[in-house]
Amino acid sequence: MKASHLPDDRLIELCMLDAASATEQHHLSACARCDARRVRLQRLLDEVSDTATAAADAAFPPERLARQQARILAHLQHEGRPARVIAFPAGQAPHEPMVSRTRPRSRWIAGAAVAGLVVGVIAGRFGHDYTFARPGAARVIVARTAEQPELRDGSIATIQEITASISDDEFLNQLEMAIDEPAAAALQPLDELTPRAWDVR
Amino acid sequence: MTAAGAPAPAPLSRDSQLAAEIKGLVTSGERDAARERYGELVARQQRRAVRIAYTYLRDVHDADEAVQDAFVKVFTHITSYREDLPFEVWFTRILVNACLDLRKSRSRRLRWTVPMSSTGDMPPADPATPEQTPEQRLVSRERANEITEAVESLPARQRTVFTMCHLAEQTTAEVSQALGLSEATVRVHLFRAIRKLRRLLERD
Repeated sequence: MKASHLPDDRLIELCMLDAASATEQHHLSACARCDARRVRLQRLLDEVSDTATAAADAAFPPERLARQQARILAHLQHEGRPARVIAFPAGQAPHEPMVSRTRPRSRWIAGAAVAGLVVGVIAGRFGHDYTFARPGAARVIVARTAEQPELRDGSIATIQEITASISDDEFLNQLEMAIDEPAAAALQPLDELTPRAWDVR
Repeated sequence: MTAAGAPAPAPLSRDSQLAAEIKGLVTSGERDAARERYGELVARQQRRAVRIAYTYLRDVHDADEAVQDAFVKVFTHITSYREDLPFEVWFTRILVNACLDLRKSRSRRLRWTVPMSSTGDMPPADPATPEQTPEQRLVSRERANEITEAVESLPARQRTVFTMCHLAEQTTAEVSQALGLSEATVRVHLFRAIRKLRRLLERD
């Protein structure tokens, strides 16, 4: 009798995959031990699937499913449409669809170079103003030395000394003053070439 | 739709018929009509899809994303759907791949972030019924956590096979088609998964 007990794997198959053969059915009805094993396994499997189903259903109530469905369909609505091309320079409509012949990597390099140039021009101009004590900058330095005598007497303060001794607000004011100066006019043509968000509907 | 004289194929499920119809509409350029029909297919498969994805990922947002991804991919590639396969099998394969991708990206993401709270993504599930006493509810919740952790502790392949066979109710032949494994291998993974679950969960 013991030799004919159903192996574990066969019990799993019976619970999940296959129907029991006539012989197996006969054995299960005659062998309380195998039947109890089968019932216990089936109960465990049901418990696992009930738990998983309940957790998923609680996490995805009908409203969430409806929102998800709407998002899927909205996504498909846009699928297959060509991307919008923004005219550059501003005001010049592209005569034909613009197909980029540059690789993304070279576009990134060009973008980084332009950004570096702009930052360099501003920073260079700003540093230049302080190093050579132009009239506007001199005024700031004199004011600071009068208020804070710890700055070296009779010497021209470096940008590090100034930034270390003034507050953030004052520093930002000085930045604005530097940007408002005619030096920033050099960037004007580049600014005019660039389309603005409100130009591009 | 099928060649005359071929051996009689198994009747297509309603979802497979619908998918074949959508494929036909897309092929003939009627995308709007195809999208409309696709909404019906999404509604029919959605509940099953979120159950699989949530069991697999244990995170509402990730499961949501995986299911959306899978449905969008299915529509985008509907012309490559083979009508001789049940739609559910094809869809489940795409869904499981979406889940695997998300799991991979989540583990990459977790390598760089510190979790803010351990309760952030706790499953909101409480399978307890309202009629239960607070004590019973607590026990149910603890048992649910044990089960969830046990399934979670299965190796990835065993969990996939178990989820597909048991929760998605697919046959081992369908799972073998979906995962590209032999049916014997699928059975071996399934047996190992269940043996491990029994070891972890059975109370004597």
